[in-house]
Amino acid sequence: MKAELEAIQTEVLEQLKQIASSDELETLRITYFGRNGKLTDVMKGMGSLSKEERPIVGKFANDVRATLTEAFEKTKTALESQQQEQQLKDEAIDITLPGRKPAYGKAHPVIQTLERIETIFTRMGFQTVTGPEVETEHYNFDALNTPIDHPARDLHDTFYLTDGQLLRTHTSPVQIRAMESQKPPLRIIVPGKAYRVDYDVSHTPMFHQVEGLLVDKHVTFSELKGVLVSFARQMFGDQTQMRFRPHFFPFTEPSAEADISCTVCQGKGCRSCGHTGWIEILGAGAVDPEVFKAVNYDPEKITGFAFGMGVERIANLQFRIPDIRTFYENDLRFLQQF
Amino acid sequence: MNVSLNWLKTYIDFDFTPEELANRLTMLGIEVESIKQLGAGLEGVVVGKIVSVTPHPNADKLILCQVDIGDEKRLQIVCGAPNVYQGMFAPVATIGTELSTGIKIKRAKLRGEESHGMLCSEKELAISDEASGLMELPSNLSVGMPLTEALGLNDVILELEITPNRSDCLSMLGVAREIRAETGNTIRYPEVTPIESETDIREVTSVTIEDPNLCPRYAARVIQGVQVAESPSWVKQRLESVGVAAINNIVDITNLVLMEYGQPLHAFDYHKLCENRIVVRHAKENETIITLDEVERKLKPYMLVIADAEKPVALAGVMGGYDSEITETTKDVLLESANFQPASIRSTSKKLALHTDASYRFERGADPESVIAALDRASQLIVEIAGGTICKGVVDVYPGRKEPLKIRLRKDRVNFVLGTSIEVEEIEQTLSRLGFGIEPNQTERDNFEVIVPSFRLDITREIDLIEEIARVHGYDNIPITLPKGDIPIPPPDKNEEVRRRIRNFLLGSGMMEAVNYSFTNPNSFEKIRLNDDHPLREATQLQNPLSPDMSILRTTLIPSLLENAQHNHNHQINNIALFEMSSVFINGEEPGRVAGILAGEIGGGVYGNPYRHPDFFDMKGIVEGMLDVCGIYQYEFKHTEDSTYHPGRNAEVVFGETRIGIMGEVHPVVLENYELPFKAYLFEFDLEKITDASDFSKCFEPIPIYPSIQRDLAIVVDQALKSDMPIDIINDTGGEWVESIRLFDVYEGNQVPDGKKSLAYTITYHSATETLTDKAVNDLHDKIVQRLNTELGAELRM
Ligand SMILES: [Zn+2]
Repeated sequence: MKAELEAIQTEVLEQLKQIASSDELETLRITYFGRNGKLTDVMKGMGSLSKEERPIVGKFANDVRATLTEAFEKTKTALESQQQEQQLKDEAIDITLPGRKPAYGKAHPVIQTLERIETIFTRMGFQTVTGPEVETEHYNFDALNTPIDHPARDLHDTFYLTDGQLLRTHTSPVQIRAMESQKPPLRIIVPGKAYRVDYDVSHTPMFHQVEGLLVDKHVTFSELKGVLVSFARQMFGDQTQMRFRPHFFPFTEPSAEADISCTVCQGKGCRSCGHTGWIEILGAGAVDPEVFKAVNYDPEKITGFAFGMGVERIANLQFRIPDIRTFYENDLRFLQQF
Repeated sequence: MNVSLNWLKTYIDFDFTPEELANRLTMLGIEVESIKQLGAGLEGVVVGKIVSVTPHPNADKLILCQVDIGDEKRLQIVCGAPNVYQGMFAPVATIGTELSTGIKIKRAKLRGEESHGMLCSEKELAISDEASGLMELPSNLSVGMPLTEALGLNDVILELEITPNRSDCLSMLGVAREIRAETGNTIRYPEVTPIESETDIREVTSVTIEDPNLCPRYAARVIQGVQVAESPSWVKQRLESVGVAAINNIVDITNLVLMEYGQPLHAFDYHKLCENRIVVRHAKENETIITLDEVERKLKPYMLVIADAEKPVALAGVMGGYDSEITETTKDVLLESANFQPASIRSTSKKLALHTDASYRFERGADPESVIAALDRASQLIVEIAGGTICKGVVDVYPGRKEPLKIRLRKDRVNFVLGTSIEVEEIEQTLSRLGFGIEPNQTERDNFEVIVPSFRLDITREIDLIEEIARVHGYDNIPITLPKGDIPIPPPDKNEEVRRRIRNFLLGSGMMEAVNYSFTNPNSFEKIRLNDDHPLREATQLQNPLSPDMSILRTTLIPSLLENAQHNHNHQINNIALFEMSSVFINGEEPGRVAGILAGEIGGGVYGNPYRHPDFFDMKGIVEGMLDVCGIYQYEFKHTEDSTYHPGRNAEVVFGETRIGIMGEVHPVVLENYELPFKAYLFEFDLEKITDASDFSKCFEPIPIYPSIQRDLAIVVDQALKSDMPIDIINDTGGEWVESIRLFDVYEGNQVPDGKKSLAYTITYHSATETLTDKAVNDLHDKIVQRLNTELGAELRM
């Protein structure tokens, strides 16, 4: 009988290997474990065994039964997971169908650039200040040491209003307004729109500027360099080189223009930079004592620096739009690119 | 301004390459915009003499030339030019030369005869368009000389951008001074020793200045017996190299000296001056002058003219007069060297739109002390080149003479401002190389009295001297440090916070950000159907607009957005969702606005997310969301009158008593005006009013711990009933137990009687203090149904 049981065990284990579906498994189970199953039949014969043999064979029979039950369970689990696997395979979809994008808008490229600039200066402790776009001659020119007959006024082709006011040609008047309303120290940036009578591929009659002003008891030209170099590295990458050239602005003295190493050729020289390796990005300088006098600061006791940059110009270092008037057409095919 | 390096080298030595010099000047603040090598592409072209000319044995139109190119070298060159002759001097491109026209010169055989180079026309050398024959060279040139040298083309031209403050650099000597500052080399000024005749100038002319403010100095010399002719080639070359056209020897010399000293000069035909004298005066009312460009100019009394005894003969400092100009018949010359007030020249030149080399310099400020040097230099050159004699003496009327300016300079202040540690020696050296005088202070070694040279009109203060020291020291040699001062604490900025939240929300809800010009077309008010007396029509006008359609400042953002929609639709882009945040210009104020447009199609337009037309409630949802992120909850949508919008589909949004914005469907006529074939929805809000209404002080509300129970409620009511009326009753009846009410369906049609509609709400009941029982909720729900029935006539829909 023991031999019979052993034969059944081998037989069943062998057959289990061939099982491919749960139906087959069930048939096999009934063949051996069913009411008239082979194992059941063998077990029924237990009664004919001797008293001595019965517990031994009984234990053996239980072991066989347990082994086989476990083997059946395993096969069943394996089959089930196989089936699930198959089912999931059948559920495969065409993943090349379009995704359902939630509607999302994009910030205007000039404003994106403006915000990046603003964020960098905010991190350096500069406070954002804004002011009117319609200005007086006084704030736009005179208080900035640019009297009416100054040749520097030629650089600003100004839009005048019929009431004699004008559209600010730079955001610098806000510096004057800020200095009039606050006492030093001041550490401000002035982002905003400015206007000049100019309309061609590299000029729009309205453009954006960010100006900065730092005024305190002892502010040096070397600190101006520090702030702007820090800005340039954050804005254009930490390998960016910056150079300062003497220049002229009526409201700063000494004045400078600052160039960064060309973002296209990294300073080797290419068409974008006119083969100089440098690209001009901003104007700056120590605040001219005349400007301090106009706001009743004592230039012996207070020094400061100011800087200003054109946002479109900086945006276009990256975007390289051949005609910057495109910025203000608001063509959705354009806006979606950024 | 253009600078010739060959010319510059006659005044100062330097051994920089053109690129190095350009870089150094740029770093001194004299920006070099371009470096132009004259005669580029002429390397390998030499002066040749055609020593014999014989016919080509195999070709009628070709000639065999034996050409001497020096060093006893003779080349056989085959040539087809009609003007070739024995003894002619012509340019020869030797073997290996690559001309700028792209021609490469190789040894060649032409119809069996060897040719060892090319005899060139001007066009082949890219010198001019002349191509009819060989370029003929003067026969006094030495054979074999490089052509660039022969033509004075071995030169480099720097194009300088001189900032408005540096009028002193608008001359060769001015640029030479900058090089002296850089190198310390000495400047060779032209040697000027005019030899005068016996005739005393006082006997032949006089000068009167009527307004010394506008003319601080006027000097004149008279040169008699000149021969007006073409200038010698060196003069023409000089002028041409810096872009000045040659006219005749007298005029060319005045221009040459102008470029040399930066002092404009003018030569009059002495005999064309009435009474042979000069009066510097204001123009008279209705006076006119024909200027050198042969244009008759009407003069205004504020303009300064140079007149003779009766009429203006020149516009002072701007342009000479046609009637007194130098001509071939001129014998005697009155040469003017003067100084004029910059503002006066500027306004005259601007008024007449007449900009000349002279006005450019005078309006930036010329050096009154160079008047005589330039006058003498030019007089001497005239005698050298055009002959004649110089009358004895100079008429020099100088009412505006000034003492040299002295400025106190403190070494410590220099370093305080710059953040440097520059030494006294460097300061002294820099200033003296720039031409400043220094009076050392006996008691204080670190402080000086600096005497400003007359040509530096831009230097009036200590800070100006500090800039001079900084730029010669080199901005790149100033250390890079970070600010040491305290960071000021900025005040809170609620306005900025509101703008940031709104912008983020609108971007997140699928609207693209637009930025439009602040200018607009006055007809846009018609297009958006504003009444004639609408306050928004009171727009600020520009005096000098770029064009009529940009002639006023915006009072509303709506027309810009409609134009954007039109532009996009015209380019077949129809999924229009745009917003703009900007100031508008109303009554001298600049209030902030946020406006948006939805039109055409919304949705992804893809499988499973098809396009659909937006409607009023898409826009309303955006508006509600926008107000929500600003912490504005208590507001009402109210029908309003606004001719831009569909009369039945618009709403003003009212917070308390204040209208904070408006929204709605665009009126069909407005759509037509912007050629939009589909409905469009707009909103425009006042940002300051939103800021006033916004409230960011909200506290935490506990998350419910007791379960909530939902009940749906569908009622049939009159079609005209507003959907929020049942909500008021539900809230009123349910009190604290009503957590939320959501309208999930509105139905009109077969299932409900005519004139009625069905509204379906989901009500969520919840108590903060207990678990609600079904029974309690049912009782309350029934009560609500009853009240809806009695108060609104609402029937339950089964
Ligand atoms: Zn480059």
